[in-house]
Amino acid sequence: MATAKRRVQARDARGPQNSKKKLPKVLTGIAGLDLVLEGGLPAGRVTLLSGGPGSGKTIMGLQCLLHGANAGQPGIMVLFEERPAAMRQNAWSWGWDLTRLENKNKLYLMDARLDPKAVISGEFSINALLAILDQRIKSMRAKLIFIDAVDVLLHLYDSPKSERRELHALHEWLLDRGLTAIMTVKTVQQETVPSQYAFLDFMADCVIHVDERVTAQITTRRLRVIKYRGSGYGRNEYPFIINENGINIVPVFRDVLQHRTPGPKISSGQAGLDDVLAGGYKCGTSILIAGNAGAGKTTLACVFTRAACLRGERVLYLNFEESPEALVSNMLSPGIALQPLIKTRRLLVRSYLPEAMGVEEHLFFALKELDESQPRHIVVDAISACKRMGSEQAAFEYLMRLLNACKERGITCLCIQQTSGLDVEEDVSGIGISSIIDTIILLRHRLTGGGSLSRQLTVMKSRGSPHSDQFHEFRITNRGIDLVKA
Amino acid sequence: MKARKRGRRGYAKPAGQTYVFRLFVAGDESNSSQARGNLARICKERIKGSYKIETVDVLKDPSTAYENKVLVTPTLILIKPLPKVSVLGNLNDTRQVIAALRLSASSDD
Repeated sequence: MATAKRRVQARDARGPQNSKKKLPKVLTGIAGLDLVLEGGLPAGRVTLLSGGPGSGKTIMGLQCLLHGANAGQPGIMVLFEERPAAMRQNAWSWGWDLTRLENKNKLYLMDARLDPKAVISGEFSINALLAILDQRIKSMRAKLIFIDAVDVLLHLYDSPKSERRELHALHEWLLDRGLTAIMTVKTVQQETVPSQYAFLDFMADCVIHVDERVTAQITTRRLRVIKYRGSGYGRNEYPFIINENGINIVPVFRDVLQHRTPGPKISSGQAGLDDVLAGGYKCGTSILIAGNAGAGKTTLACVFTRAACLRGERVLYLNFEESPEALVSNMLSPGIALQPLIKTRRLLVRSYLPEAMGVEEHLFFALKELDESQPRHIVVDAISACKRMGSEQAAFEYLMRLLNACKERGITCLCIQQTSGLDVEEDVSGIGISSIIDTIILLRHRLTGGGSLSRQLTVMKSRGSPHSDQFHEFRITNRGIDLVKA
Repeated sequence: MKARKRGRRGYAKPAGQTYVFRLFVAGDESNSSQARGNLARICKERIKGSYKIETVDVLKDPSTAYENKVLVTPTLILIKPLPKVSVLGNLNDTRQVIAALRLSASSDD
């Protein structure tokens, strides 16, 4: 009786089909993924994770299961391929202690590997596994189930008909128990769901495909929701990374731009330049400082950095060119003392080697820093180096998303770009981010007839603000930058 | 017929050895019923009188299935004589089952 009642309740819990109520969902605990799935996985239904070997399916499924287990929804992981002991060990590398949850009866790892020596003679079904699971589900009141490598099970069947029959039985079994299920299946190459297991696609209410691609020697993992019955979802491909906390996704929603309105003008740190810009930079906008090597770009950025820090505003300096120590020491020559600003944590300098990571990891670190240190302004030195994250496209993705994230948070971005060609203007629009840049300052220097170096500065663009379009002579002195009055 | 005769003549049952089988079934589903029938027939033909079949219904006794690492039904385990052997499925392929359970009579079978 009790079982029957529970079964009815379970059926009700999963059923939006009889009403206009919103589809009940279960959070995955992976913040970006919950956004893409508009609230998580379908409760009481089957979600299929498909992808090639090593694409991150198992980690993703396990992470969802653990989130549930920690949030009071005990879960079972059924392993068709790996040993439970190996899984426990792997989980450690993401800092997940499975044994602790197992001891608390919140998690159960079911070893479902068939004896490879067993002889197969005629038809069979997985009734015994389901009977064992039933006992577990009851004793631990499990709500979630994660079936890893269902393809290994299906390989045992010799005909598509028996595969289909088994899957159908499994599907019914899951639905009857009202379990929220995640299943992984291996795919090859471009397939999203293995064509021979079309029924898998049918039984799943939500299908997520994960893959891993290598472009220019840098690997990017991506996920895409193929379908989600009864729910909206993000339609793009979302890059993700796997780091010491498991899966991290920074979804891009290009269709919704929620930029803040630019704030008031703030000083560039140089009175002459403030005049040229009719008051200074606009807070919360993106400014590009372009020029050849040695034109004074970094110096100009540091002049601003110092002024902002001295006003009490935090600056995050993302440096792809040199180490924090090198930056500090190089700025001593134009008389900009950065060390005291770093000491008081007004200035945070983070140096990264562009080719050390893919775009996603770079972005992950940058956004994490934005959220944790809450800077008012950031400096990216230099965006030209971002190409070394893989390609021009990689640089574009990184900058577009970083700058968008800053605009959403009202953070001023000072981007430095090293130009090489003679046609500086073409160079500036090179990476293709000019649409998101509000102000462009161009620096150039050349030898004069007298053998001295002449430096010039001009403002090529300044959105929503008047500016001088003259070339202005400037000098780098041991007290910073001086604009020569025309 | 010839092969069978030869088989009957020399089946390899060590003297006094009793075969012990454990057959895991799931209620009266058709594959389980077929396996029961097939096993009984094979035993009668090959090792008449010297076998024991324990039947476990996994729906009533999942713990025993778990302890024996049985995941599918029907599963037949030859407990004795050692080494243990597992045969999955409804046992419809008689020749294969006989070979797997080491009940084949002659070396050329």
